[in-house]
Amino acid sequence: MANQQAIRADWSLKDKLPGLLAAGLIAMALGGCARQSIILVPDPEGRIGKAEVTTSAGKQLLEKPGDMTRTSGRSNPPSAVTTADPAFIAATFGEALAVEPPPPQTFTLLFETGTTALTAESLKSIADIVSASQRRSAISVSISGHTDTTGSDKLNDALALERAQLVKALLLRQGVKPELISVTSHGKGNPAIPTPDGVPEPRNRRAVVIVH
Amino acid sequence: MKISASAFFIAMLISAPAIAQQPPETIGHIQNIEGLASIQRDGVTLPGAAGAALYRGDRIRTGKPGAMGIVLTDDTTISLGSNSELSLEDYAFKPKEGKFALALRMMKGTFSYITGQIVKLAPETARVQTPDATLAVRGTKLLIEIKE
Repeated sequence: MANQQAIRADWSLKDKLPGLLAAGLIAMALGGCARQSIILVPDPEGRIGKAEVTTSAGKQLLEKPGDMTRTSGRSNPPSAVTTADPAFIAATFGEALAVEPPPPQTFTLLFETGTTALTAESLKSIADIVSASQRRSAISVSISGHTDTTGSDKLNDALALERAQLVKALLLRQGVKPELISVTSHGKGNPAIPTPDGVPEPRNRRAVVIVH
Repeated sequence: MKISASAFFIAMLISAPAIAQQPPETIGHIQNIEGLASIQRDGVTLPGAAGAALYRGDRIRTGKPGAMGIVLTDDTTISLGSNSELSLEDYAFKPKEGKFALALRMMKGTFSYITGQIVKLAPETARVQTPDATLAVRGTKLLIEIKE
């Protein structure tokens, strides 16, 4: 009895086979449709980079503005590279691009040798930083202190931090909210102008303020 | 046995406040929000808000309609269109120690992704994962659409 049912079930499956095959083909065709699109575009400063898109079946390199590849499952290779239609970009990414945060604004303040005294010119930029952070309704103001390569590491780490702290104090006094401000010391480790050790370089004696 | 158990308990009492006091490191902020958006953190869903801090491991989501722009501390900038989901799986940006990591997982939706200093300083440490593919990004801006 159980056997007969099994046989009958088997037959009914065979009856449906063409339908199942068709459904399978449709599913495969759908699976073959692009599920993901990856497009390389210039950044806000017009620079173009590179990206490599890899699935378990192959990879594609994007290197020109508008280069696009599409993927349809991990086990299929990414499509050959085509050029994305600007209308497709606008329609698909309009929402995301509309809320894209503006690029950060960077200010560099210079100091007199071995001191936390801002140069007269740089003292004036404090007002610019304050107005930029108000205009943008900034969510963060990060200050990093730096030195040139004269003096010991220990001295430079401390001096770089003091420089950053001084800038913080000036910004606080002008009404920038304390919770926005973060301070780091890079010592002599991140020079604007790389120099050998022991070289006085005014452009490296600085604090960099990045307003987001 | 009893002594070691109570010693363990005391050690826990001492260490627990120390752990609780250690605030998680802010790795970025939400800069812009339109419509519905949320952050999922340690299994809890928090409403998204402009200026909110982001931590490693956060999963951020937009509804429909919804959109959100975030900036990480290395200047990595990502914006999400509606019905999108992104996980900030790993992140380290410590230039002084030469420590860098960036692992993003994009689950669904539309994204605009502008690379930051991590990609500039240590490109091999940055990785973006989508359901189908791994993206090795060497700068500077990518648009990604992931249909459900």
